[in-house]
Amino acid sequence: MAGYFEEMGWRELDEGEQPDHLLHMARFLMDFGMYEDNFTGEWPRLPPPAAKEAVKNLNEIVIDNDTTNCPICLKAFNSGDKATKMPCNHVFHPACILTWLDKTNSCPFCRYELPTDNEGYEAFKKEKKRAVQRKEDIDTLHNSMFS
Amino acid sequence: MANIAAKRIKREFKEVMKSEEVAGGAIKLELVDNNWTELQGAIAGPPDTPYEGGTFLLEIKVPETYPFNPPKIRFMTKIWHPNVSSVTGAICLDILKDQWAAALTLRTVLLSIQALLSAAEPNDPQDAVVAKQYRDNLCLFNLTARHWTNVYAGGPSVIADFNQKVQRLLDMGVEEHQARVALSTYDWELERATEQLFS
Repeated sequence: MAGYFEEMGWRELDEGEQPDHLLHMARFLMDFGMYEDNFTGEWPRLPPPAAKEAVKNLNEIVIDNDTTNCPICLKAFNSGDKATKMPCNHVFHPACILTWLDKTNSCPFCRYELPTDNEGYEAFKKEKKRAVQRKEDIDTLHNSMFS
Repeated sequence: MANIAAKRIKREFKEVMKSEEVAGGAIKLELVDNNWTELQGAIAGPPDTPYEGGTFLLEIKVPETYPFNPPKIRFMTKIWHPNVSSVTGAICLDILKDQWAAALTLRTVLLSIQALLSAAEPNDPQDAVVAKQYRDNLCLFNLTARHWTNVYAGGPSVIADFNQKVQRLLDMGVEEHQARVALSTYDWELERATEQLFS
């Protein structure tokens, strides 16, 4: 069994560190279901742009067969063209994908998500992942007791 | 920027024209102006739905920032569906809003709208009145949707009872569409519809 702090996704305060009152307020509201829509459902807007660092680290490749199109501008690639490859292996013209990632963080083809620089959105993603994990844990516990 | 949008629409137009859906008559796409910024789409009502046999026209406006922003699409043919406004034709579909992705095309969007006709999302309604009927009285909803398909989209099922009720209101001097909306809204109870129209 994980410790209390770990299970909640929290950590203990460091020596001399002050608690973050805004964070407490947010958790308080969440506990009372004030943000139910945001935390059980979807991010209410288009997710934020991809993190600058993640975009910088995308792989550059050179096209060696010209049978495919760039899914954004739909223009066919030519052999020898430079292209950008996302971690999900989808390939785009650099200018096309950079414009898109400047708007939102996911692959236009399969919605694979790059990290963002938006703390609120990263917290939302983490919370969502934790909610799934917690539900699985409860199911496991329930099944081990009643099956 | 506008240039990218126009070039892509041209490529998409060719893709749609070659697609099997166009060949099969499920979707259609036509140019409205010469700048590739406005198009007219058409989808066939899916089989085994109240929309079967109808043809629904859609207005498609392509923004300058396409494909980085979604096209603006609304129904021009009047339709009775929880996720489409029975007044404006506005569509509530996530991929036309915050779930848009640049790799989606007019072809895939038209097919998604067609799929929406087969599987409504009453919990995310565009038209609250229609959604309420869908939840509370699915049988009557299906009849109403079938009637609208018959009247506005060229569908085959004539529902005589509804036509008679509309005619009764026409005889009282009510405009036809207004009469149909009032009757549809009040579950085809002539008395309540009349009361609302003349109050």
